[in-house]
Amino acid sequence: MKASRYLAAGAATVLALGLTACGGSTGSSSSAGGSSGGAAGAPTDDSKCADAEVFCIGLVTDTGKVDDKSFNQAAHEGAKKAAEELKGFYKYVETQDAKDYAANMAQFTNKKYDAVVTVGFLMTDATIEAAKASPDTKFIGVDQFYDPAKVTVKNATGIQYPEDQAGYAAGYLAGLMTKTNKIGQVLGLEIPPVQKFAKGYEAGAKASNPGISVATVYHPAGDNAFNDPTWGAAEAQKQLGQGADIIFGAGGNTGNGALQEVAKADGAGESKFCIGVDTDQWNTVPAAQKCLITSATKELSQSVTDTLKTAQKGDFEGLTTMGSAGLAPFHDFDSKIPADVKTKVEKVVADLKSGSLKTGVTL
Amino acid sequence: MSEWISRNKMTVGLGAVVLVLAYLYYFADKTTALSMYRYSWSYAVPLVLCAMVGVIGERSGVVNIGIEGQLLVSAFAGFFGAAYSGSLLVGVLAGVGCGLILGGFLAWTTVKWRMDQIIAGVVLNIVATGITSFYYKPGQLLPALMPHVSIPVLSKIPLIGEVFFKGTGVIALLAIVIVIGIHLALFKTRWGLRTRAIGEYPSAADTAGINVIRMRLVNVTLAGALAGLAGVFLSMDSTSSFERGMSAGRGFLALAIMIFGAWRPLRAAAAALFFGFVTAAASQLQADRVINVPPQLVGTLPYVMTLVVLAVAAGKVRAPGAVGQPFVKEGK
Amino acid sequence: MSANPAPPAQEGTAATPPPPTDTPRDETPAGALAFILRNQSFTVIVVALLGALALGAILIRYQGVSPWYAYQTIFHEALFTSGGLARTLTKTSPLILTGLAVVLPLRVGLFNIGGQGQFVLAAAAAGWAGYATRGSGFLALIIGLVVGLLVGAMWASIAALLKTTRGVHEVITTIMLNNIALGIIWWMVTPGGPAAYKNTSQIPMTGPIDDAARMPTIAGLPVAFLVSVALALVCGWMLKKTTLGFQFDTVGKNKFAAGYAGIGISKVILLAMAFAGALAGLAGAMEVHGVMHHFEPAIGGTLGFDGITIALLARSNPVWTIPAAFLVGILRTGAAGLQFATGIAPEIVDLLLAITLLLVSIPVLGKWIFRSRADKVEAAATSWGN
Repeated sequence: MKASRYLAAGAATVLALGLTACGGSTGSSSSAGGSSGGAAGAPTDDSKCADAEVFCIGLVTDTGKVDDKSFNQAAHEGAKKAAEELKGFYKYVETQDAKDYAANMAQFTNKKYDAVVTVGFLMTDATIEAAKASPDTKFIGVDQFYDPAKVTVKNATGIQYPEDQAGYAAGYLAGLMTKTNKIGQVLGLEIPPVQKFAKGYEAGAKASNPGISVATVYHPAGDNAFNDPTWGAAEAQKQLGQGADIIFGAGGNTGNGALQEVAKADGAGESKFCIGVDTDQWNTVPAAQKCLITSATKELSQSVTDTLKTAQKGDFEGLTTMGSAGLAPFHDFDSKIPADVKTKVEKVVADLKSGSLKTGVTL
Repeated sequence: MSEWISRNKMTVGLGAVVLVLAYLYYFADKTTALSMYRYSWSYAVPLVLCAMVGVIGERSGVVNIGIEGQLLVSAFAGFFGAAYSGSLLVGVLAGVGCGLILGGFLAWTTVKWRMDQIIAGVVLNIVATGITSFYYKPGQLLPALMPHVSIPVLSKIPLIGEVFFKGTGVIALLAIVIVIGIHLALFKTRWGLRTRAIGEYPSAADTAGINVIRMRLVNVTLAGALAGLAGVFLSMDSTSSFERGMSAGRGFLALAIMIFGAWRPLRAAAAALFFGFVTAAASQLQADRVINVPPQLVGTLPYVMTLVVLAVAAGKVRAPGAVGQPFVKEGK
Repeated sequence: MSANPAPPAQEGTAATPPPPTDTPRDETPAGALAFILRNQSFTVIVVALLGALALGAILIRYQGVSPWYAYQTIFHEALFTSGGLARTLTKTSPLILTGLAVVLPLRVGLFNIGGQGQFVLAAAAAGWAGYATRGSGFLALIIGLVVGLLVGAMWASIAALLKTTRGVHEVITTIMLNNIALGIIWWMVTPGGPAAYKNTSQIPMTGPIDDAARMPTIAGLPVAFLVSVALALVCGWMLKKTTLGFQFDTVGKNKFAAGYAGIGISKVILLAMAFAGALAGLAGAMEVHGVMHHFEPAIGGTLGFDGITIALLARSNPVWTIPAAFLVGILRTGAAGLQFATGIAPEIVDLLLAITLLLVSIPVLGKWIFRSRADKVEAAATSWGN
């Protein structure tokens, strides 16, 4: 009896060690991820954040992870870059429970961080509350809109992106590139940023190719809408099967599943193409490079970096900061896309930016 | 054969009607029909495999609500196994191996230690979510794509061949063999008879000289391999990436399909295909702008229909008698 | 799943575990050993918790962080920072209720894993009702709470009715109902849905609750916490002192005996599930009215599933859900502070809770500690097929 007890204890220990050994190989980087010291000469901890000359940046996600290949990651990279360039200090907290937004922001304000980036429109109200409570900290809300009629704080700005313009440009390109006059889009949850991309895409495609048909599908379940690549792949396969030759995947990992599926199809990169979203997915989803002609991007990282620099210098320009949106480089497809198509698309992008061309998208 | 048909009039009749309708639609609008059928099958593959895990478990008297966890961990192990080793085969083996290990965990705790089966399943799910999201690492790539093959001759059959045998992944092909194999094994072999016996009336089976404990251990453990295969399908075949929580409730959906299929492998496969087709149809209606049925509600359809079937056909559709109960040998 | 030829020998294993104060055994050694032997359940829980913390320490160690520092951070963050305790209590209150939502049916021999669905559906309904009745001041709070309570009870009753009339196992039905509830709430609040708030950014949520209809805080204590604790005590009293409680336990321990004793088994099952649903639903409504002040789908978090862990930690004793929920509340509150201080991802808490659940519910732990002196009670059982 006794022997078997020791045997069991031994087995449990071995199991525990084995478990943790697995973790050891992958875990080390994640412990370093929480705080990043930035460039040489930059502070290595946040003990001096109260000092005027040390610029400390905090970031809070909306129940997402900073490695989500999507907007949390882009904002995270933008903030990290800002810290490096400003020789500041950067740290993030990943929210697990929507009721913790305030507490997680307080982690940073308690330590007198100079700027806090909050990512995602779900944090809109919480960010304004925090800005009221901590007037010395500057708040940057990515994808957030503060109504000037209701919000009076001076230390917060929401970055908004014209997603419809990016979608429009991508759709315009797709309309010119399609051979079958059928294109598709595989989308995440039916919420405004996604809808703006989707409607812009459709409007752009119809503008360059009035006879085109656009198949639009949103993910059916709320909880997994941005995290179901299997579903995205199956939808993309279905649309390809029905003759669509360009698929726009917009919806986090769900959309990425669609991109990867197109990359696997016969004729990928020759007669079948895909278009990514949010960031230049040539880098974030390498498995889709075979078909990825471009991505409808919002300049998320860049706008976070820029806004943080503004915050360091002084006051924000206003309650809303406009980020830009457009098309990512064509990468390997630069030579495959006809020159006249490129010229036309570039003109559309320029016109959208200057405001002489409107997408006509309303939600 | 004719005797079998007369015993299963309903099934045969329904099957024939469905097949005729399927072919009619196929000849009316080949591209749309085909893409929808292919969608249904790729939707069904992981569900069918997971439903088999449930069927084997419950037929042996062990309820498994940890399938979701098995699926998730296997998808994780398969993808990262392949990414780190640079070999697809290692990935597949890692995924299937993890399925086996978790199956073994469930078997050992519930059968040997007589831990409550539901709780064991819940534990498995929670542990799986915790481990896979904690140890997830971004930026990994599969070394290659999983092979897709066309079976000679069979792939030439209109509709059936094009959906099941033309350019399909190896795991999808295996799933067909596995479902038919398990169906035959369950109803035509000694193993099947014994399995059903230990699930229905273990003490009688014990009296008849069957080692109930050992058989349950083996069955539940081996069934885990199928969940492993389904996990590998998710992260390596249908997509080439692992994401946190990517099983997206498929393990629970498989339970619904198992019940909808009345604990019979072939019927469960048919149920999975049916729900796949309903989902395809809903998104087709959405894409074609015919009507926009709220997609969120369409997603609940399998669960609603399973509840309805359970409510209406209770008595006819019935779980194996001893499901959920640990076996205690008399006089021990 | 109802008719089943279970041999009587299995009734014992299928019974609900008794509350932590166990009957003394024949041979009674003196001192500490005697105490441990008399309180086996308690000892097992403590050992399980320590074991989980030890395993967790190894995991944290491998992340390159001192486990001692990590645990210190969690507890400091949850208890001693300004506002920390209040947040922990705020998190504890719904956990007590979702824990109770598992405990009550467990005493009748049912396993309610539908707490999550009952919680979110009720929260959505409460948020909708609270917004629809805006302008009516305090009344909107009452309406919201009642609606949440009723919706939760109704949703759980579906499972109970299917059980009593058709013999369908509640684990299956509650899994199905969880998924259906998710579909419904997302449909409700997605832009264009019936309860969606037409705000400028069109966030999927219901409209904001009026200030007058929010649940207040009394002397730093959230009212929701007081209500939850009171309900846990009431449940404990109900099970211990009332006829209904006696009926609950009788049905849970032995259906045949309960039948002979003339107890309406169907009625008891229905009541237990309806109570459970009402508690989970009330938790949802209080989260809407007391914490978020609107409904959004993320409100559910992992509350329903944490409830299972809590119920098993509390050995299905309602009063014990209070400390169990408090412990989970501490870990959940401390998780974010842990990441801030050490960079360890907050999922470490999910792992810790999973290990705790495993160790608490694994029956061999008790047998291993006490060997021949072990009580013949299962750690927990759900009496599938009873």
